[in-house]
Amino acid sequence: MKILSIDSATAAATCAILNDDNVLGEITFNYKKQHSLILMPIIDELFNNTGINISDIDAFVASKGPGSFTGLRIGLSTIKGLSQGTGKPFVTVSTLDSLANNLAYTDGIICPILDALRDNVYTALYTFDNYELNRTSDYINISIDELINILKNKNCNISFVGDGVAKFKEKLIANLPAVHFAPSHLNLAKASSLGELGLKLLSKGTYDDLYASVPIYLRKPQAEREYEQKMRLNKNE
Amino acid sequence: MEFVVTTVDQTFKIGEQIGALVNSGDIICLIGDLGTGKTHLAKGIAKGLGIEDHVTSPTFTIVNEYTGRLKLYHFDVYRVNDPDEIEAIGFDEYIFSDAVSIIEWANYIEELIPPNNLTITMEKVTKLGYNYRKINMNYEDKRYDYIKEIKI
Repeated sequence: MKILSIDSATAAATCAILNDDNVLGEITFNYKKQHSLILMPIIDELFNNTGINISDIDAFVASKGPGSFTGLRIGLSTIKGLSQGTGKPFVTVSTLDSLANNLAYTDGIICPILDALRDNVYTALYTFDNYELNRTSDYINISIDELINILKNKNCNISFVGDGVAKFKEKLIANLPAVHFAPSHLNLAKASSLGELGLKLLSKGTYDDLYASVPIYLRKPQAEREYEQKMRLNKNE
Repeated sequence: MEFVVTTVDQTFKIGEQIGALVNSGDIICLIGDLGTGKTHLAKGIAKGLGIEDHVTSPTFTIVNEYTGRLKLYHFDVYRVNDPDEIEAIGFDEYIFSDAVSIIEWANYIEELIPPNNLTITMEKVTKLGYNYRKINMNYEDKRYDYIKEIKI
């Protein structure tokens, strides 16, 4: 099976063509968000330079987030368009899964963190055991302090990956024992990693529905936002 | 800082001076009733940023984007019923970016506005005359000290 995979949930605009055994080509730009300008040219260049035709593609993989709302819309609508136009199926995979997959075979907890602004992160916890990536929490949007609280009592190595690392590295080092960070070449969303996970789903016959598939716009629960607002008002009094 | 202006042109020129001084990441909240000159001030800021495009009120589009010396996001949240609504379009990604953000009717979405903003309040001073407008500028963050350079 040949697939085309794209991820534009973060600052990285990344696109890859994979088959069951190999990454045949991948282009990634991780500099300034300009997905709407560069995503289609990247896809075009991948096809041109590999000599693969879009009709050779059996299925598509897109990121379902969480991440930049705008980026998610660009990525998912691009893949939906390609899927509808070619009549080939697509599946969505979380960028958090794909970032965790960047650190395959890492011991302990793998914790991707994406900057969700206002000192919040999009995150989930993973372990890699029996050659499989296992997600052990929900996809959540929490403050970095809450995340530190959750991780504080875990008695194992914790490896962080994602664009939240640059922002919170020092804080994580200061507040948690045994923390590790992905090297920069693995510390970004890669369409190849997303595609690998998507390929596994596709080969099991798992597809997304063209009309029903939506990104995960992970926002804090309404109650929590109201509580924060109340706290802020109290502070101002 | 407080200015009293009597013509649209004066409002525009204050905006133009702000636009020449703003820095990447600045957030400017414009608060005032209909007809106090918020959009004229915004047009001036755009001009001062070197934006040549025709700037219109984004009342229906919610946000318009322009590129000049810096990128400009011009919001009008008058038609936003609930802060949730605007948060859902990815508001944070806009205001926490490298661009300059202008937010008309920012008081409607107070809870989403970060404290390091420049708040410009515009009101009619009817006791002085029909065309009088008081323009008040408030900020806590020193980044907006450039406001002191503005003259009319």
